[in-house]
Amino acid sequence: MSIGRVVATERRPNTPHEFHFWTALGAPVGIGTIVRVEGPPTGDGQLVSIYGVVVEGFSYTDLQTPLHDVLGADGDPASAVRAPTDRTEIRLYTAHSLRHIPDEPRQPVPMGVVHLATDADVAIALRMDGYLKDGQRTAIPVGIYRSGAMQSPVYLDADFLLGPEAAHLNISGVSGLATKTSAVEWLLSSIFAHFPAQKGSVAAVCFNVKGPDLCFLDQPASKLDEADRALYDALGVPAAPFPDVEYFAPYTARGYSLATLRSNEALSHNVRPLSWGLNEVLQYAEVLLNKDDVDAKADALIDFIRERVVNNEFTDSILERAHTVRSFTDLEQWFRDVLRAMEGRNLESWRTHHVATIRKVRNRLTNISTRCRGLVTDDGTANDLPFGAFRDRAVYVIDVASSEEDAQDLIFARVVSQLREQLERRTLGVDHVVVFVDELNKYAPSDGPDTYVRKMLLDIAERGRYLGLVLFAAQQFRSQVHRRVVGNCGTALFGRMDMDELATPGYATLAPATRIKLSTLDKGQLMVRHPHFAQPVFVRFPRPAVLGGREGMEKFPAEPEPSLEVAVTRALRTLDPSVTLEWVKQAIVAAPEDEVLRARNRTLQARPEDVKACFRAQFRGRAKAEPVRDRPASFPLAGSGNDDPYSF
Amino acid sequence: MRSVRRVLRTAGAAVAPSAPALETRPVVAEPPRLQRAEPLEGGEVRVRRVDGDPVVGVAAFLDGIQESRVLAHWPGGIPLVGGTVAATVRRRVGRTLVAWRPDATRVEHALFAPRAALGDAVWRALADGCDVRDTGDPDEQGPWHPLELTARALSAVQRRREAAETACAELWCAEGDGPLFVDGGIASAGSAAHSPLAIGVVKSHRTLYVDGDALPRVLGLAAGERTTAFTVASPRRASVASWYLRLRDPAAHDALWGLVRVEVALLGATPDHCDLVSRWLLAERQPVSLPDPRWGAMAYGIRLTEEYLRALTR
Repeated sequence: MSIGRVVATERRPNTPHEFHFWTALGAPVGIGTIVRVEGPPTGDGQLVSIYGVVVEGFSYTDLQTPLHDVLGADGDPASAVRAPTDRTEIRLYTAHSLRHIPDEPRQPVPMGVVHLATDADVAIALRMDGYLKDGQRTAIPVGIYRSGAMQSPVYLDADFLLGPEAAHLNISGVSGLATKTSAVEWLLSSIFAHFPAQKGSVAAVCFNVKGPDLCFLDQPASKLDEADRALYDALGVPAAPFPDVEYFAPYTARGYSLATLRSNEALSHNVRPLSWGLNEVLQYAEVLLNKDDVDAKADALIDFIRERVVNNEFTDSILERAHTVRSFTDLEQWFRDVLRAMEGRNLESWRTHHVATIRKVRNRLTNISTRCRGLVTDDGTANDLPFGAFRDRAVYVIDVASSEEDAQDLIFARVVSQLREQLERRTLGVDHVVVFVDELNKYAPSDGPDTYVRKMLLDIAERGRYLGLVLFAAQQFRSQVHRRVVGNCGTALFGRMDMDELATPGYATLAPATRIKLSTLDKGQLMVRHPHFAQPVFVRFPRPAVLGGREGMEKFPAEPEPSLEVAVTRALRTLDPSVTLEWVKQAIVAAPEDEVLRARNRTLQARPEDVKACFRAQFRGRAKAEPVRDRPASFPLAGSGNDDPYSF
Repeated sequence: MRSVRRVLRTAGAAVAPSAPALETRPVVAEPPRLQRAEPLEGGEVRVRRVDGDPVVGVAAFLDGIQESRVLAHWPGGIPLVGGTVAATVRRRVGRTLVAWRPDATRVEHALFAPRAALGDAVWRALADGCDVRDTGDPDEQGPWHPLELTARALSAVQRRREAAETACAELWCAEGDGPLFVDGGIASAGSAAHSPLAIGVVKSHRTLYVDGDALPRVLGLAAGERTTAFTVASPRRASVASWYLRLRDPAAHDALWGLVRVEVALLGATPDHCDLVSRWLLAERQPVSLPDPRWGAMAYGIRLTEEYLRALTR
């Protein structure tokens, strides 16, 4: 259906990249509409088609000044409405070229007839035809492009979304419109449904950095309407929650329960603790130590401890005993021994390390377990992500929303490093991992200190695609994120944007009308940039088929931190449902709190067959508390019942 | 006109640089005058308020345009004038105007020149390449004043335009449906002058059809008032019923501002019909046809029709 004609004037000429066309007043054309121009055939008879996306619209009448309208209506607006003839009005649009066929020679857009793009046109215009071919299909649905009554699926190329050609995704949008998180949830569903089998397996690791956003990914959405289901059908994605989700969260500072809003007992079956001991943390100590902390001398001592002390039997003539350091408690004892020995001998340095350096490093290292209480254990027990056993199409959510900033940084650094190392060695269990990080401007800011986390994000952005390590990151202000991080994201999604943000230089390439549209996007609308698309396109995506954070909290309210016995019961029940509160009470009676927690942590780490036996075994060496046996109701009186006259 | 210039260049004429349209040149107009007309309503021209509110009744608008330029000069000071005339009927559908039918739009491009002054050989050479119209009198011998020849060409172009308008008016009156707003008089519009569908609206008033006594009444018309009808008769034109109608309050303008003279067929020109037609015309005051300088008396439908013709001819 033709809807317009291309026009050009000397003042506003067409170029190969931009053209203008007018339409009837009621034509279903607006900013973001994709059109096809049919030009006259070339000299050799080949038909010319130019595909474009509308980036600007103008409307005007033959009125020279508004005052003329006032005069005509005698100053009465109601009178103007009664005019028998409408003023001649034009709808003039500017479009940016998406694709020319034939590609060469690239000439200015001819004065042709303009048509609304059909499904096939959209596929050609966005160069999706290359990855929609049977047998070579690598298409991942990202949403529906709508124009009038037409709805055309828009696909991303998996090779450019998850690597190896390009990779990474960045999402920008104002907060509170459920765009960023929803878009990621939707896109992960789409990836899991459409990632081609020949490309390998894929899993996702999501960092829940605020509230309950990602806490209910395995629960069905409460308000998925027919329109949403129609979108799911049209895009071939099941409207269902993620079937395989595991949650990880550090303990609270008190250590009884996990620091997550997913604390409702009904959902505890797949919530696991995330806790690390000295072994896991020492490698990433620099995440928590600033440059003032770690000068060359301190660095040398930390290296010494890492290489010679930890996990080795360490002996020295000045020390009271041999040390095998496996936990922060062991490390503290080692430091005490060293410092006591130096004081006793009045030594200023030991093994070239000055006493002040030793004291400083002792302070900084042993302080880690305090700063990251709940995550870092003193006793060395660790509960970690299933590195090496990642499952295809599984989502691993790490809830760091309630953690302190230091703990968040440590979690992020270690998890991503582990993913990277294991992907490099091909031992992770899957071939691709999507790492979703919200609030990227906090972790990879465009200014501020060069932190370990930022360096790591830069590394993922620049080299992750070769490994299958893909960064999906979101932030409110893209301009506040490091340029190299966003610059390396092959695909960018934009939800509703703040006008101040749109005024920054990063958006200068967008037409003014496109920027205005971005600032007024509805929920569920996105602007998509992708390497195959010559211009950004607007799409609509369905609500995620998972329970939203707010609704989830209403349906599964968080529970207050329980008593020690209840907390231990709940934790052990995830391994053995037969564990009861009474059994736990009996098992831990008279045991100190830290010992109970340690027993619980070790049991959870071991994941034994016989949970009860394993848990009980943690208390051996302590006198068993036994219930008082029934005493006989009476003792026989002396002499009674026998004939001994001298007995009592 | 590019093709006409090419023909002229080939024929050996001195092609002139781009010149302003002849229509924009000052011309010696006939002097303004008063002419008594025979009253149709009563014995004299009187003022009456148009009864009833303005109401939309016009079904279509007819207008014509012309543009002529001296394209070249032939030796001997003979101007060769390129003329374009166009006329069309734009039908109202809802609140927009659309083309009525293809044959109701006429566009002509032609070269206007005196055949006798050019000679037959040159004439035939020009006629082979473009449409050529003779502006001379076959009995008249030269020499000719160049400005006189230009004026004749301009008159010839004007006649072509009037002919095109007449053809369109006749077509509508024969096959159209509803009242036709004609820009200008209908007395010379052939059979349309007798059609109940044609309404001529004259904006220029070099001749005022009133005698001395009635003149103050015509000039003193207030917005929404009309004169009683009278007959406009001419030996070479059809007789029509006519009246003056004040569309807009002249206020700070001259007394003729906002004043139109309406022409309808004599038959059926009852006072009620004159009132009804006046109400139709009053309804066409909006939207205002600014920035056209004639906006005080010009209907927006006519402006649109003119713009349409300009788009076709440029």
